[in-house]
Amino acid sequence: MLYDRYAEPAFALAVRIVRDRELAADVVQDAFLAVWRRASTFDARRGQPSTWILTLTHHKAVDLVRREHRRRTEPIESRAERADPGPPVEERAWAGMTRERVRDALARLPDPHREVLELAYFAGYSQSELAERLALPLGTVKSRTFAAMTALRTALIDAGISMEDEWNTSTS
Amino acid sequence: MEHVDELIPAHAIRALDADDERIVEEHLSGCERCRLQLAEFESVAASLAYAAPPAAPPPDLRSRILTAVEPVVEAPAVAEPTPSRAPRRSRWPRIAQVAAPVLAAIAVALGLWNISLRNDLNGTRGQLAGGTVVHLASVGNVVTQDGRSTLYADLRPAPEGKTYQAWVIRAGRPLPAGTFGGGRTELNLSQHVVRGDILAVTIEPAGGSSKPTTKPIASGRA
Repeated sequence: MLYDRYAEPAFALAVRIVRDRELAADVVQDAFLAVWRRASTFDARRGQPSTWILTLTHHKAVDLVRREHRRRTEPIESRAERADPGPPVEERAWAGMTRERVRDALARLPDPHREVLELAYFAGYSQSELAERLALPLGTVKSRTFAAMTALRTALIDAGISMEDEWNTSTS
Repeated sequence: MEHVDELIPAHAIRALDADDERIVEEHLSGCERCRLQLAEFESVAASLAYAAPPAAPPPDLRSRILTAVEPVVEAPAVAEPTPSRAPRRSRWPRIAQVAAPVLAAIAVALGLWNISLRNDLNGTRGQLAGGTVVHLASVGNVVTQDGRSTLYADLRPAPEGKTYQAWVIRAGRPLPAGTFGGGRTELNLSQHVVRGDILAVTIEPAGGSSKPTTKPIASGRA
């Protein structure tokens, strides 16, 4: 079900952003509850459930770091603890393949593009904050964000990642 | 109407400052074209999530979420004391009893593949005389007998330029096991299936792929 498929990527995303397992769990819980409460308004044309859940998780996590000024950008320590047996093996296999391809796609972006995405998406910087941190004019940050996202879209398509799946949603 | 194309990718990663965000939100409320544009970039943004280092959620998160979903049916009259030491397996059906209708409604709203996914995971594993059968919800069955495995399926024809492809996933590695076009199918898998393997079917470009490029439409464990 939905939880088994997306709890792990959603939690990994939340941990990466808020840097705290307890807060991350709260974020994921909020995101799933929001999805469930609003499931009847879900519009398949507007994307996959995966996108919806991960987008909500991202928004809630970013809002939280902004609110609490928790933002930090150093790479997170990898933790050895593994309390949960984790999702079924087929879910992990799928997430693992996706992860590998997304990383490939990111690796193909020019460094300045990757930097903007990293700071905005994972560290919660807004564009004006990015301009300040990178000592760039706001206009440059805006065009760089646009270029980075467009390039990432192309790289993901080349890498065979398709979050769209017209097959499965068109039958509902 | 003046569209907001140049702001949409940044909006998808929540990077806009408040003033730009207000402009975009106002515009989106009246512009289907830009909403679709945003959806596309949100899916790009969502795939970024997979670049985060893997982290396993706490074991109790699932039950926390399920119990927080507002029940649409009466909860069982007698609440058991929190079985914190009981194995998860035994607790799950009680929660499922309350939450299942909610989940089912959600699954319908979110598209059929959720249903098939849930069924896959509960996969019916039957025994045939001298062989085993793995049920792939919404696709069909894989029957293994004497070391040979056959997929029986009845799917609508694959779209133009696409094919169905069967996979045997062993230790996390997908092995291509044959392609088929849909309709009534009896496909001898080109891979041996051993206990513990995952069987999956995806939709691939015509000719098949060396690795799956789409989400499985169904899967089950041998």
